[in-house]
Amino acid sequence: MSDPSALTSEALAAIGKAQTEQELERIEVEYLGRKGGRVSKLLEGIGKLGPEQKASLGKAVNEAKRAIEAALAAMRAELEASRLADLAETEAIDITFPGPPLGRGHIHVLTQVRRQIETVLESLGYQVELGPEVETEWYNFEALNLTVGHPARENWDSFYFNSQLLLRAHTSPVQIRAMQRIKEPPIYIITPGRCYRRDAPEATRLPYFSQVEGLAVDKGLTVGDMKGTLLYMIQSLYGRDRKVRVRPSYFPFTEPSFEFDVTCGICGGMGCKSCRHKGWLEVGGCGMVHPQVLRNGGIDPAQWNGYAWGFGIERMAMLKHDVDDIRLFYESDLRFLEQF
Amino acid sequence: MRISYEWLGDFLDLDGVTPKDAAEVLTRLGIEVESLTMVDLSQIVIGKVLEQKQHATSRTALWIHQVDLGDHVQQIIAGAPNAVPGSLVPVALPGTTVPNGKLVRDTYIAGEKASGMLCSADELLLGEDHAGILILDRGKPGDALTTVIPSQAIMEAEITSNRPDEMGHLGIARELAAGLDRPLKRDFMPAFTGTADPPGRDLVKVTIDDPDLSSRYIGGVIKGVRVGPSPEWMQRRLRACGVRPINNIVDITNYVLLEYAQPLHAFDLAKLNGPAIHVRRAKANEKLLCLDGEERRLTPDMLVIADALRPVAIAGVIGGEETAVTGATVDVLLEAANFSGPSVRQTSRALGLRTEASARFERALPPELALAGARRAASLISELAGGSVHREWADVYPRPQEPVRVNLRPALIDDVLGTHVPLEEAESILKRLNFHVKVMADGEWDILPPVFRLDVTIPEDLVEEVGRVYGYDRVPPTLPGRRRDSWTPSAPSLDRRLDSMREVLAGSGYTETWNPALVSGRNLEALRIAAHAMRVSNPLSDDMDTLRTSVLPSLIDVVALNRDRGRLDVRVYEIAAAFLARVGDKNTQPEEPLRLAAVATAGLTAEDGRVAFYRLKSVLDGCVAALAAPACTYQRASAQLFHPGRCAAVVMEGRQLGYIGELHPTVAAAARIDGRVVAFEIDVEPVLAASRIPRALPLPRFPGVERDLAVVVEETVAAGALLATIKESAGDLLELVRAFDEYRGAQVPEGHKSVAFTLTFRSSERTLTDAEVDRVMSEIKVALEKRHRARFRE
Ligand SMILES: [Zn+2]
Repeated sequence: MSDPSALTSEALAAIGKAQTEQELERIEVEYLGRKGGRVSKLLEGIGKLGPEQKASLGKAVNEAKRAIEAALAAMRAELEASRLADLAETEAIDITFPGPPLGRGHIHVLTQVRRQIETVLESLGYQVELGPEVETEWYNFEALNLTVGHPARENWDSFYFNSQLLLRAHTSPVQIRAMQRIKEPPIYIITPGRCYRRDAPEATRLPYFSQVEGLAVDKGLTVGDMKGTLLYMIQSLYGRDRKVRVRPSYFPFTEPSFEFDVTCGICGGMGCKSCRHKGWLEVGGCGMVHPQVLRNGGIDPAQWNGYAWGFGIERMAMLKHDVDDIRLFYESDLRFLEQF
Repeated sequence: MRISYEWLGDFLDLDGVTPKDAAEVLTRLGIEVESLTMVDLSQIVIGKVLEQKQHATSRTALWIHQVDLGDHVQQIIAGAPNAVPGSLVPVALPGTTVPNGKLVRDTYIAGEKASGMLCSADELLLGEDHAGILILDRGKPGDALTTVIPSQAIMEAEITSNRPDEMGHLGIARELAAGLDRPLKRDFMPAFTGTADPPGRDLVKVTIDDPDLSSRYIGGVIKGVRVGPSPEWMQRRLRACGVRPINNIVDITNYVLLEYAQPLHAFDLAKLNGPAIHVRRAKANEKLLCLDGEERRLTPDMLVIADALRPVAIAGVIGGEETAVTGATVDVLLEAANFSGPSVRQTSRALGLRTEASARFERALPPELALAGARRAASLISELAGGSVHREWADVYPRPQEPVRVNLRPALIDDVLGTHVPLEEAESILKRLNFHVKVMADGEWDILPPVFRLDVTIPEDLVEEVGRVYGYDRVPPTLPGRRRDSWTPSAPSLDRRLDSMREVLAGSGYTETWNPALVSGRNLEALRIAAHAMRVSNPLSDDMDTLRTSVLPSLIDVVALNRDRGRLDVRVYEIAAAFLARVGDKNTQPEEPLRLAAVATAGLTAEDGRVAFYRLKSVLDGCVAALAAPACTYQRASAQLFHPGRCAAVVMEGRQLGYIGELHPTVAAAARIDGRVVAFEIDVEPVLAASRIPRALPLPRFPGVERDLAVVVEETVAAGALLATIKESAGDLLELVRAFDEYRGAQVPEGHKSVAFTLTFRSSERTLTDAEVDRVMSEIKVALEKRHRARFRE
């Protein structure tokens, strides 16, 4: 039978020499194991002792246990601290090695730009209206003052299915349908959607494209309100240093009619090669809604007036992302689509 | 239209107004100047050719000229032979740059000294004429060329279709004068009339069959003209505007067209049978040899000018060769007419011939313009070609132009523009544009637009006139808004709702595409999905002649294109409408169901295809789940484009949304795609309609118990059927069951498969014991045995 204090010294010495957690575990089992641990073994034959001796041995053994446990805990803390202190060397990785490809898909750049436009105009209280792509002659042309034989109609050369049905040349039919449906102004809507014109494909235009048109019908709207709306939209999309100008033009469905331009983003309006030295880039058309068009939508022009505008989403995306060929949007080459 | 700055100077004082200023003002007025070409002639001098001989040794034909330059004579070599001795020619001396950009140097050509260059109109940017050296009609050797030809500035401008009056320099000058607030030096209606006897109307008989097609025809008779070249200034201006000079009479008609926008035509009076003019429809099988040398076959929907026997011109488009003015012409019939715009456009399109004349008539010219143009041309002919103009021309005018009056409440100007325009300024602007303004007792303005402005008919048109001259830059931008007592609540747009699907697709590696809706009808037929296709009656080409009935073929093409460009793994989708004609009714709009379609490539083996199919199914389930719509079920189906053994109908709440499957090998092969392709296409609107707001469930308070179950059944038993049996027989404690593996091979009998499931059991009231779960598991096994003759692997 050994003496508790001698056993304790022996255990503490072993703990002091231990270098790893595994060694500490082995020491723990050797001395403190529930069955067969050397500390427990000190109590073998305690039954033969008298009560006083019993009590003193029990106390000594408990002290030995606590001392060994405390030494183990201290040593463990020391080992852990030194392990953590060495992490920089032991577990260093090459952080310059690139991550594996994510394989994420991309949302089409035209969807992204359309979303930005919608978000900006929704913030002004406009709501999205949609309509059919195959339209009737009346909604596409007649209701917009583009009567048969009108000289302006050649700008909206269209694909026909028969004398009555055609692919819409603009989203303006949605404006008429919206006025007819909503009936009671105020009306503040935007009409994004696909359109079709019979133009041979080239770098700047395609027989299919996408528009966002806007329409406001209310009391006492002005050319100034139209300018402000366009300016708010352009500055929200391209930055507050951009300017907008409206230039008189002609559309049968607005009076007065305009084209609207935005200052060139490259030269800031001074004139450069990319804006053909004009300082301005053409964006779209706009104007005050023609009274007859309001009437065709079931709105009384004596009580209400309105303004409308329209532009190509592709054009906006080209300006924003420096895309120089409109065909890229519809060619579906992943090398292009994955850039956005 | 091309505008010559020099020409505008005939009509208003341009002192202090540079060509760039003029272009800026015109653009702000609504005449968009797209380009401005400056031609600086100040470095070019006038020379007189003294001698000309052909170069003896050069292999190409060259001529050596001795040219008098005032103080000395210089030897100049040219490639054209027309600078004969005595000619006055423009000379570019060594060291100068010719307007077309060429730098002239002292040099030797095949041994002969060449000091300078004789210039063509083309090189001086005075026209597209390559005919040879430009021959001047006056000038002093040694003087600057600008003493006879001013430096030029040519603007290319876009004229809107409502303003045919701006298709001439006078109309442009009128706008510029109004914009600059300077007086216009020319009245619209020239005072000139002929004086010779007898009255012109007695010399030629004019009849118009259909006043709807021709509302006016003026035929002026001018006798004893001397046909020859027109003066250099006229030729120069014509060239500047892209018109080739021919002879003085023809040049004058073109010149007046470019000035007044009124097309004119001159006939050789001696060659007109009758002499009579009959404005009528062409008869079947009539033909006309036109001025451009082409014989054209006419149809009865074309309007012609005929003499007593035959057509001599196609109304408003082109004249006939046989009655044209030539060097031998002595007497001329000058035509100034008005033809209906739609009729001229139709004829011009049918013939595939667009001329300066047809471009103007198409836009509906005012008939009053005809007289102004005729008078201007007659006065120029009498001045430049001699001849006596007869008085009282034939002027058949069955539909006189009605004056239009417009009432304007002047406050409307401020109301529409959103800024204050002083009344005096508004009135002054209208007057500058030749509107008559009468202020009435009630303050309204009674306004008479000038006769050449048929486009002004409503008060808003007048607001536009004031606004564009006042300047829209002066209208401050504002945002509309007022206190409202009613509104429409906002709702997320369709696109915003679809964004949650786009997020799932992007996260799963699918890239969105936008593909043309117009596709090849032949391809749809080959794929046998053309049943409800809508065919375009006037397609641009046969690969874009039909609206797609399905989005899938576009995506298959996208796969092929990207494979061609070196991409192996292609995962793409599109959200777009398909177009389905409604059965039995050609005149109603088609259905335009919004579709979501996706395709993904896989490897070459059947197993690759199988794995890809299940992956795609997860993507589709994820899209549906993202909208919080009820889960789809899948039913074995067969459909066009799909593999017969690997296709399912996608069903939600009993409604079929579309199909998912592997593409039929022949479809992939037809698109030249190697390997397997999986795809789906569904209707999106029912999914959106079924979309619900997700409701939060309490989190489980007690642990769940998971058990795996491997079920061996015959090949024909579907996993879906096993799942249904499991759910049915398990009772309330089964929280979730998922199939995770399908196995065939050594440990499974021939003709059988093993399907592995993970089942999760949970009670919301207590912790389940193993015994409870065992009981449920054995009930499930019994049901599977009974219904599917299943056995179980440990
Ligand atoms: Zn620029």
